[in-house]
Amino acid sequence: MKVGLFIPCYINQLYPQVGIATLELLEKLNVNVAYPSGQTCCGQPMANSGYEYESVGACNNFVDNFKDFDYVVTPSGSCAYHVKKHYDIIPQTEDVINVRNNVYELCDFIVNILKVKNVNAKFPYKIGIHKSCHGLRGLRLGSCSELVGPSFSSIEDLLNEVEGAQLISLARKDECCGFGGTFAVTEEAISVKMGKDKIKDHLDSGAEVITATDTSCLMHLEGLINRNKQPLKVLHIAEILNSSI
Amino acid sequence: MSSREHILSRAKANKPDLLELPNLDLNVFVDGRDLIKEFKTKIEVVGGNVVDVVVKENVISQVSSLFPDTKANFSTLEGTQDFNTISLEALNKPHELEDLDILILESDIGVAENGALWLSDNQIPIRVLPFITKHLVLVLNKENIVPFLHQAYQKIASSETDFGVFISGPSKTADIEQSLVIGAQGALSLTVFIY
Amino acid sequence: MNHSKAASIFNKDEKKVDWHDKALWFVRHKRDKAVHAVEGWESLRNYGHGIKAHTLSNLDNYLIQFEENALKNGVQVHWAANGDEHNKIVHGILKEHNAKKVVKSKSMLTEECHLNPFLEADGIEVIDTDLGERIVQLAKESPSHIVLPAIHKTKEEVDELFQEHLGTKPSGGDPQYLTGEARKHLRKKFISADAAITGVNFAIAETGGFVVCTNEGNADMGAHLAPVHIACMGIEKLIPKQEHLGVFLRLLARSATGQPITTYSSHFKKPVNGNKMHIVIVDNGRTEQLSRPDFRASLHCIRCGACMNTCPIYRRSGGHSYDATIPGPIGSILSPGKDLTKHSSLPFASTLCGSCSDVCPVKIDIHSQLYKWRQIITKETPQPFVKKTSMKMMGKVFAKPMQFERIGKVARWSLRNLPKGVINSKPNVWGKERDLPSGPTESFDDWYKKRKDNEQ
Repeated sequence: MKVGLFIPCYINQLYPQVGIATLELLEKLNVNVAYPSGQTCCGQPMANSGYEYESVGACNNFVDNFKDFDYVVTPSGSCAYHVKKHYDIIPQTEDVINVRNNVYELCDFIVNILKVKNVNAKFPYKIGIHKSCHGLRGLRLGSCSELVGPSFSSIEDLLNEVEGAQLISLARKDECCGFGGTFAVTEEAISVKMGKDKIKDHLDSGAEVITATDTSCLMHLEGLINRNKQPLKVLHIAEILNSSI
Repeated sequence: MSSREHILSRAKANKPDLLELPNLDLNVFVDGRDLIKEFKTKIEVVGGNVVDVVVKENVISQVSSLFPDTKANFSTLEGTQDFNTISLEALNKPHELEDLDILILESDIGVAENGALWLSDNQIPIRVLPFITKHLVLVLNKENIVPFLHQAYQKIASSETDFGVFISGPSKTADIEQSLVIGAQGALSLTVFIY
Repeated sequence: MNHSKAASIFNKDEKKVDWHDKALWFVRHKRDKAVHAVEGWESLRNYGHGIKAHTLSNLDNYLIQFEENALKNGVQVHWAANGDEHNKIVHGILKEHNAKKVVKSKSMLTEECHLNPFLEADGIEVIDTDLGERIVQLAKESPSHIVLPAIHKTKEEVDELFQEHLGTKPSGGDPQYLTGEARKHLRKKFISADAAITGVNFAIAETGGFVVCTNEGNADMGAHLAPVHIACMGIEKLIPKQEHLGVFLRLLARSATGQPITTYSSHFKKPVNGNKMHIVIVDNGRTEQLSRPDFRASLHCIRCGACMNTCPIYRRSGGHSYDATIPGPIGSILSPGKDLTKHSSLPFASTLCGSCSDVCPVKIDIHSQLYKWRQIITKETPQPFVKKTSMKMMGKVFAKPMQFERIGKVARWSLRNLPKGVINSKPNVWGKERDLPSGPTESFDDWYKKRKDNEQ
């Protein structure tokens, strides 16, 4: 099994530690993982802003980088979802179809492809999970409160096995944090209010750490937490799963 | 071109290729709940009251004890001439029903999943009656409780009705700050007698 | 005013935002409780979706069948291509019957057509009889929600309105008292009305009948007391058969308020002897929406309002911030079809979180349609120069890995070295209330290369 690692543009530049944790975790799990150089962005920032046609170059670059892998794994539900859902703007060659079918968010890949739940991590904190929307309702990484059906969550499956980790439950377990890409800037007032409300829910519920499958949501929440000097640590789930403190 | 033709021609030109009508498999909804229990629970959930009676003939006496001070009464139950204080034949317009205190009607379908009772023109001598009355009493044989709306519509399909209504509870509103208030423009209370 | 601007004004009063958000979340929560108790709920949604999709794919024939049956039932049928024609038809019917006083139950269609001012201009009194609608009518506002029209008003505000218009006593906003006073006030209006106007929730092709759902009983009080009943419906209200009501009535109220069904689900077919019943069938942009494959599913909407209650943006920006007859997520995919330029900010008033699509009882892919409208809007309406050029630049940067690396380096350096005051200065909207990440010395790329070099 040949796995290509996709590190989203903003993680590459601003949160390299998330990329490092992802790579180390996959290697610990004995995955044959390669990081193709020359990768940039999945194209989502332009596409969600209504400029899908400006993202064609990014899409083609993505497919070029990952066409020869059995799986593409990324520490971002949002990017994986974008490739799966919106890469219909470029011609559907065999390569494009393969890449779209085989792109996986990290937790999804570990639980559903590797069939592993216990990654031998230790992390003795109270954790609040922020269920990033594109992972939750786009990739169906877990059941959401709107739909009626059995309850499940790949993220919880993994965190439940982490030694010392305590998952806290929120009043609103899967409400959006208000990041939303350029929404965070174009609808600044609502974005900030949503983020503040989300953080309050975590604090009220006793979380010490907020985690998520998407660093974009966390960047927004962390920005508010730091500005307001709130007692919450923010970590991508890869950092927790790769932890042995 | 008339607007009718305009709309129809555009609907025809702009519609997608024919999609199939789904076949409803009612088995997917079966939940094994006790019909009578569920029906009573739901009536209470929607703000109504339930009274069990052994026989239909006991309804009037029980109504009289539940609503002792009513002045304007009307019932369509058999043999209740003594209870009725108004005569529909003597009415000039339905508006004169404005002061009706209590109305008793029979229903022949109750729906367990939502506590609704079906009334049609056959059971309502004047359409405005169940809405304009202050207190509404409905009488239902427990044999006539069906699990879901689907079965209710199967029963309704066999009769021609010019007007019919499902009533589930008394009239209500939550339009002021989401506070539930029973008694909006229709009946202030609903009592269901099950025999 | 675009949505963002209106939303930021609404957000100036954070307490009110919290209150609005909680009130609607409470309704969403009630909806959850109700639907999770229904065996086969997701099948029910699939059926709802399938029946609506089928109906639209045969719409002309169902409209013809509906008209034929309605005529047989002794109902007069009128057709209106647009809002203006709808208003003229309703006005004409009222004139014909010399009707001066009209009671109206809730109908978003008549809001969309701006019927009230049209009739009032000719001296006709139109009273909205749904309590929430009466409240906004007295306040000279439009509904801010399609099911809870006055959800933006506090009980104290209602108290003041009623004191001024209905002569009530100050009650501190006692809902029981205020509702009781409204009942007395509206009773008089029902008794003296010359005509009643209602909306239509579902129109049944097979029978020519139609169903109107209310909790208050106001549609029935109006329609059964007045000698003339005019029912106004959009062409998308059709369903093929009466048995399909079993699906839609199970979906509607649970999705709307968490009730198992509305208090009254009234099935109108024939007028009583001596009375008149009219149906006005309205297009007003609907056949155009039908022509758009990506957006026609928006016509499935049964107006439950669940997408508004669940939408984290709607809850925090209020219905009026959308400046459209139908606000919230569903309004944001319907409105651009009517006036792309006027409503161009609405599809962007979303994080594309997808909650609206999952909560929708007829499975409209609302968030996907929002995404698609965005693509059209940037091409067909004027866009800010900065947004356009920055997107073009980003597109170029991300297409070429070398450029991406270079620009990344500059950005990280700036974040590390520029003073906070510069980083968070005015052009950086992000930094108004949020810190930016600190800017690491090396990117993941740098780290990975170093690791590789060390291995060798």
